[in-house]
Amino acid sequence: MSIALGLRLKIRAMIHVAAEPIPFFWPMRTFIHHNPLHGLEHLPFEQAAHQGAELFHGRAFLPRRIYQGDLAAGKVDRPLLSAAITQFLESREGIAGIDLQHWLTVLMTEVGEPVTRPQTLAGVADVHAFLHGSEPRNEGATSETLKRHLHERLLGDRPVYEAVDALYGTEIGTELDELMIKSCLDFFDEGQSVWDMPGREQGLFAAWCDMANRNVPFYLHGLHVSRILEQDEKPEGVIAYVLQQLGIPEDQWISYFTRELVRLHGWTGFVKWRSTAQHYYWADRFPADLVDFVAIRLTMALALLRKDGRHNHAWNTDGIAEAIDTRTAEIYLRHELHTGQILPAMAHAVDQALLLGKDALIQETLRDYLRGKTLHEAQTQANGLLALAEAADGRDALPQLSEEQLGELLTTIAAFEQQEGMIWLRALEAHAIHRLLNGLDPSKPPVREKRPFAQAAFCIDTRSERIRRHLEDIGDYQTFGIAGFFGVPVSFMELGKGSETHLCPVILTPKNLVPEITAATRQDDAAVTALEKAMHELKESVLTPFVTVEAIGLLFGFDMIGKTIAPRTYNRWRKRLHPEKPFSRLLLDKLSREQADSIVRAVQRTVIVKAVEQELGLPPEQVTDDVIRSLRESALGHATTPQACADALQLDADKAEAFIERLRTAYRINDAFAHQQMERLGRIGFTVDEQVNYVTQALSSIGLTEQFSRFVLLVGHGSSSENNPYESALDCGACGGNHGLVSAKVLAQMANNRPVRRILRARGIDIPDDTWFLPALHNTTTDEIQLHNLQLIPPSHLVYVDRLRNGLTAASRLCAAERVPTLAIGEKKNLEPAAAYKLARRNAMDWSQVRPEWGLSRNVYFVIGRRHLTAKTMLHGRAFLHSYDYRVDPKRRLLENILTGPLVVGQWINMEHYFSAVDNDRFGSGSKVNHNVAGRFGVMTGNLSDLRTGLPSQTVLKDGKPYHEPLRLITVIEAPFEHARKAIDGVVAVKNLVQNAWIRLLIVDPESGEVSIHENGGWQKRALHAAERATVQESVPL
Amino acid sequence: MKNLNFSQLKKLEIILEGEHKEFATDLLDHAGVKGYTIINNLSGRGSHGFHEGHLMFNEEDVLIMIIAAVPPALVEPILEGFAPFFSKHSGVVFISDIQVTRLVKFAD
Repeated sequence: MSIALGLRLKIRAMIHVAAEPIPFFWPMRTFIHHNPLHGLEHLPFEQAAHQGAELFHGRAFLPRRIYQGDLAAGKVDRPLLSAAITQFLESREGIAGIDLQHWLTVLMTEVGEPVTRPQTLAGVADVHAFLHGSEPRNEGATSETLKRHLHERLLGDRPVYEAVDALYGTEIGTELDELMIKSCLDFFDEGQSVWDMPGREQGLFAAWCDMANRNVPFYLHGLHVSRILEQDEKPEGVIAYVLQQLGIPEDQWISYFTRELVRLHGWTGFVKWRSTAQHYYWADRFPADLVDFVAIRLTMALALLRKDGRHNHAWNTDGIAEAIDTRTAEIYLRHELHTGQILPAMAHAVDQALLLGKDALIQETLRDYLRGKTLHEAQTQANGLLALAEAADGRDALPQLSEEQLGELLTTIAAFEQQEGMIWLRALEAHAIHRLLNGLDPSKPPVREKRPFAQAAFCIDTRSERIRRHLEDIGDYQTFGIAGFFGVPVSFMELGKGSETHLCPVILTPKNLVPEITAATRQDDAAVTALEKAMHELKESVLTPFVTVEAIGLLFGFDMIGKTIAPRTYNRWRKRLHPEKPFSRLLLDKLSREQADSIVRAVQRTVIVKAVEQELGLPPEQVTDDVIRSLRESALGHATTPQACADALQLDADKAEAFIERLRTAYRINDAFAHQQMERLGRIGFTVDEQVNYVTQALSSIGLTEQFSRFVLLVGHGSSSENNPYESALDCGACGGNHGLVSAKVLAQMANNRPVRRILRARGIDIPDDTWFLPALHNTTTDEIQLHNLQLIPPSHLVYVDRLRNGLTAASRLCAAERVPTLAIGEKKNLEPAAAYKLARRNAMDWSQVRPEWGLSRNVYFVIGRRHLTAKTMLHGRAFLHSYDYRVDPKRRLLENILTGPLVVGQWINMEHYFSAVDNDRFGSGSKVNHNVAGRFGVMTGNLSDLRTGLPSQTVLKDGKPYHEPLRLITVIEAPFEHARKAIDGVVAVKNLVQNAWIRLLIVDPESGEVSIHENGGWQKRALHAAERATVQESVPL
Repeated sequence: MKNLNFSQLKKLEIILEGEHKEFATDLLDHAGVKGYTIINNLSGRGSHGFHEGHLMFNEEDVLIMIIAAVPPALVEPILEGFAPFFSKHSGVVFISDIQVTRLVKFAD
């Protein structure tokens, strides 16, 4: 069977659409925070939360008891809870004798468990009868209702094997998942396994087919995959065949694919990310996509079902539908028995009846069972109601209700419990909003008489807030917040490495490459290889790392990229910043045409020397420059090979010509390849204009355009911990999960560049000659700030460095004293700053520490505005702070860029923490203690599981309860209302996030003093200082 | 100009969100399309309001256009392939008649 092109393409598109609700999974070497429901962001938050919970079998809100704990702790806006209940009841009829407002308040605040219980058989009449002490009437359980119930549960888009498992107690789904995981571990391995799956270059589906067709254990287990695979060579054809065999109608394919993919959503997310990643070495070498993945899954599913079908089990939708319609009683009892819904008291009787298989006995058992189950459901529902009535002092009211009124009450409670999570969330957020607004200072910032001793731009990361506050408090320092890649997307090539690292948020792809270079000679003599000998001529070239891999390494079959991007341990490239590393610089300026030309020529000469040695056996010292030059000219077709050259190589004319041809083809000395190399070299560095633009953008976006200090620190951040696969999650999200130091160096070098400053001056940004931009690294695990590139500082500035260092150290100690007690690693609550600082450093090196720091846990605010607005309030490391001065941004472009870049990334981080905290098992990755590294890119729980996504429990939970408070990101923009509103409306992506309430947005207008909040689809004005609101309890910790 | 041979082809102009670029090019590759041109950062007005094309720090939330010249026989399968995608996402496909001189670049 070979299917038409149109259908093949359609299946590809269907799988793309089907996988959209499932988020990407990035390799954990660079952990990327993301919203697990990113694929549902086109929906309003509330709707997406419910849909996501259903799709991923998770929970989108915390259990009621935890919210009740928050209420008791004073973290919830109580009047807002009452108002929400009133609003909920507005659209509902009242019920005589029941104060619904009171009942629902009691339900929320005093009753621990949900009152609504699942009802499959019992109706209102049965609950009513039970409350009045009579026998339930059991009207709901006709044969037709049972059939409908079974059709809904077993057919539709539910994978067929799940239905079969639910009827026969088989475990096909589990077996299928395990086979799938094993196949994935084999194929996607990035050098962890000692055994390599053969034929991976052909791609996932083809390699798997080869393996499966010859797999003896498959055959022995009765899995005849070959019979399925021979239907079509292409994965799309196999998919169409399997779905047709299973009897799934085409209009359900998309949702069927989704259900299949969600079962292993971690692996799905990884394959999905990998197939779209650009320049990902492993994906380039061993391609795979979700179409391959689905085809393999469906093939194995069908083979397993057919094997199981030999036990006279239905194995496709037609078979299941027929069984439901003709053997309803048996199928119903089977479903109850094997899905764990059976009444325990009747489990034995049902099991016996099914075993004997006699129709009369089955019918009789069914009658008993239905009666028992109806009674049980009516009873549990009635008891739930009675408990509520008791708590609401309304026990007498229940028996007075008519059947109709009781039905209304049950429907009201069910609808309310469905919306309850959202009501709690809003009330918690309202409280957090009051807290923030109360601390804001909207007055005009005072004019500074003189420039501060030093200015420091930190990442917007929540962990910067603490250290910024302490630095400002201890001396004459002014601080700013900017996304940690400092607005310059860079593809970085570390010294001696062949791979590029993208230092920017993942929603960007850097265009400019920055290699790290050094003047120091290579220390590592033991590592001298044939390649390095060949590189002799280029050894002095500053571009060695770049050119080596790109131009030479591959030609000689040196798999350098593989060696450099498959790390020996799980640690990333930066771990090898060992102390012996020579002082290095960044090649930041564009190469001139002549420079690029000469590099390409040098590479060609080296390759020719190597070729002569390899092909003709002549050592390099016997080959003169003249010979090389004429070989090169001939290969490029610029000249014919002179006789002298052939003679020097001891070749006759034919052999000389053959050798030239070999240079062209095998050694790629040709114009096309040279052109490619020129193109690649063209990616290196930034033009002066580009540098001017990036510096202007960075400085203007934080409002630093005048009064420059002597030192302007650009502080990137990173963490340090041992034995931690999640280490990258603690690094800089704006740098794609890497350290921020290189980005700081990049902007500092640009801003110190004389030609750049000249143009900036002409554009109105006058940076004084004595201002020096200095890169630094803030270690968030130890609170230390380390200054870098001190070798480049002008001598005139050296006398001030001591004062600067002392200030930074003091801030670090104070920051540690504030932070360390939250980690519970010290015995004492109040540590001296010096002792806390020491403890933090020891903690970072503790191999057994599962929680080196809290990272971004408890993040809740994102403030875009001048520092003056937040300077007087203590935000406890819970706020992203992006500096912004609307006065330098009349066209709103800077604000739009802050909204679409940093804010969007902040929202991903916030949502990742939200869902990892509300359901750590499903959306988070569970405890680190049970994690095993999988294939060097992810972790599994135990030996074989889905790839775990989200954050580990140690990051978001403390003693089993949420440490991170799951709230949506409360975002404040300080700007005139119209200015901010137009910026938001100007970018569709952000407008949607605000309208769909994925973030809570407020605008603080410094000119009118008014605050506007986006609520219920529109803007509403409110007071800035809510001191008059009785709800705010000042004593409650933030 | 006398010696030029003109061949009839169809031009597809596919406008969609940048986030789905790889999906669209993968589909065209699988359809056997021999090449295409991509224009990033489109601005314009559509049913979802005005899209700005100047975002500096976000490449996923901008619109892109993919232009491909294909033999007429490929148009229908390609449209059939894109159908499930466009029934869920905003975007458009324009189809127009064009002529090319070097057919070998566009069709086998």
